[in-house]
Amino acid sequence: MPPDNGNFMVAAYVVVAVVVIVYAVSLYVRIRKVK
Amino acid sequence: MTARQKAQSLATRGLWVTAIAVVALAGVFVRAIAYTPMDRLQGPAQKIYYVHVPAAVVALLAFSLTGVLSIVFLWLKDRRLDQAAAASAEVGVALSVIMLTTGPIWGKPIWGTWWTWDARLTSTLFLFLLFIGYLLMRGAVDDQNTRARFSAVIGVLGLALVPFIHLTVYLFRTLHPRPIVLKPSRPSLPDDMLLTLLLSFGVFVLLYLGFTMQRYALGQLRDLREEELHGAA
Repeated sequence: MPPDNGNFMVAAYVVVAVVVIVYAVSLYVRIRKVK
Repeated sequence: MTARQKAQSLATRGLWVTAIAVVALAGVFVRAIAYTPMDRLQGPAQKIYYVHVPAAVVALLAFSLTGVLSIVFLWLKDRRLDQAAAASAEVGVALSVIMLTTGPIWGKPIWGTWWTWDARLTSTLFLFLLFIGYLLMRGAVDDQNTRARFSAVIGVLGLALVPFIHLTVYLFRTLHPRPIVLKPSRPSLPDDMLLTLLLSFGVFVLLYLGFTMQRYALGQLRDLREEELHGAA
């Protein structure tokens, strides 16, 4: 039976989503400020 | 079309590319979690591979491009090359954050430890810190020419580290697995898993393009504002 480590997978995917969204928002805000 | 309008148009196009990439990333998440077979030995944690590896490869490509652009900048002294190198470096740092967080999250259940100071992990951390220094230095130096020249030198040093990082798993005894796709022989992955990995790689390339277009436009807009301020003074 495979090991029960799905929580690590979920944590990794959440981290990816957070980093991508935070960086996208950071770019959007910085461009708005300088426009 | 004025330079400002061109930069604003590039920023808008970059925003659209990023939006498409974010939606595609959500699709990759669904495919990886729900429709890609699970590894019998590693369990669900193996699926971290589908985000860790593409983020790592694209981050290293971003740093490599920064290095190449830096070399060409030192030769031609074209400011646009410096701005493109800086844009690629910042996006590379963002992707490195993904690489350096998802790696340990996979390592804990599979290796039994979050981190080990082996050659691959340590050299990757050094590359990340080098480019953090690159970005901090750019923020600290006011003179545009000095900043561009210093940045280019750091960019070239970063480029020199990339092939070394790729080879660490062959040159040293490391815990980090060797490539199972980027190798001379056929990829050692079932077709379903390989397709998910390739789709994810495509999405991370798209993310890189969207982010870099926006970051490059931001650099141009900042420069234009700086020139306007100097012109007014």
